Amino acid sequence: MSLKVSLADYGVGNLHSIRKALELCGADVHVVEDMRQLLDASCIVFPGVGAFDRTMDRLLPVRDDICRLLQGGVPCLGICIGMQILTEGSAEGMEPGLGFFPGRVVPMRAACVPHMGWNEVIGKDELFQDIDNRYFYFAHSFHAETTTENVVGSTQYDITFPSLLRRGNTYGSQFHPEKSSRSGLAFLRNFVRFAEAQQ
Amino acid sequence: MLARRIIPCLDVKDGKVVKGIKFQNLRDVGHPPDLAQEYEKQGADEVTFLDISASLEARKTMLKIVEETAEKLFVPLTVGGGIRSKGDMRDALNAGADKVSVNSAAVFDPDLINQCAEDFGRQCVVVAIDAKRTGDNWTVYTHGGTRPTELDAVQWAQEMQDRGAGEILLTSMDADGTKDGYDIELTAAVADAVSVPVIASGGCGSIEHIHEVFRSTGASAALAASIFHYQQHTVQEVKDYLRDHGILVR
Repeated sequence: MSLKVSLADYGVGNLHSIRKALELCGADVHVVEDMRQLLDASCIVFPGVGAFDRTMDRLLPVRDDICRLLQGGVPCLGICIGMQILTEGSAEGMEPGLGFFPGRVVPMRAACVPHMGWNEVIGKDELFQDIDNRYFYFAHSFHAETTTENVVGSTQYDITFPSLLRRGNTYGSQFHPEKSSRSGLAFLRNFVRFAEAQQ
Repeated sequence: MLARRIIPCLDVKDGKVVKGIKFQNLRDVGHPPDLAQEYEKQGADEVTFLDISASLEARKTMLKIVEETAEKLFVPLTVGGGIRSKGDMRDALNAGADKVSVNSAAVFDPDLINQCAEDFGRQCVVVAIDAKRTGDNWTVYTHGGTRPTELDAVQWAQEMQDRGAGEILLTSMDADGTKDGYDIELTAAVADAVSVPVIASGGCGSIEHIHEVFRSTGASAALAASIFHYQQHTVQEVKDYLRDHGILVR
């Protein structure tokens, strides 16, 4: 039985690439439009499309339930905005985040913003296993700030910022693995394997 | 550290890839989704599709091509050409584009850029500028480089950044199609004037040209077409050369 992944569809942007990428990595992907359905999920992916408030509008009614689920160990991957909503809130929006990761999302302080393109992720985690080329694709103007113990990957761009967060079985990547070619697919394959092992 | 990007550009007409020499004399070089995938294998950091067909019918064909491409491409895809409204941009994004470039429409209605950035996020909004030298400055052209405007290219780039462009795709009309190299002066002038990434375009005829534009300007990315389409070089060869010459690439 392949891993069933519930992919949250907030109603904005396209999910083609992330869906296809997860399928290539062996997952059985279910696109979920009603966020309450996430509560039955065995693995959740929050994709990296849309804006903070609009995404949180959909998720606020189930905020506490989702946090309980993640605390209970249901594997989860949030990508870009999908990672940012896992924090307590963002300078980009007014709504609170899910608050699973301590800390907030702040504007990128760098000479050239958006931070757009391929950059290196430094750090140790099982999701980096067998990935020689650690360059992943980024496209963002904000980044998360959180406690050191939750940072498993960081990236340098004028400043050094957290690019992969982890707490328990929940990951948040600032980069887009689904846009990061071979390295990104290897990362997602590692995540799918990791999530399978938790079932 | 952020790597410089190499972006093969596919000019697409009626669903097929063509390359314009000075925006004319088109020659067919293949099926867009296949070529895009081939470029990803070679190490392309992104792929850009520029739709140069005019009809409404062709526009629908393009969206189908984008959908087919997005299913199998795992690097970012930018789509441009004929984007006139927020609706056009939404269609391209929904079809699977990661970024959409707007050219002439931004000149007619600059506010379109504010709206698109607001609705879709500035990281998906690319403003394409076609510029041609006039005296000491550069003038913005629209309609595929056929109509001059009153706008100064450097000031225009700044205004587009302020309105929400996440990136500037800068094409030199003087260099485009010549294969004599990128317009270094223009690229440097625009890259120095804005704080969003600038993609240099027009004039690439050799690996050395790509090295030159990265060495001499603040361009974040270099766009090229013919050196890849006619298999003069693979993307990997370009990257190996750049790496050997001290330019950071993926």
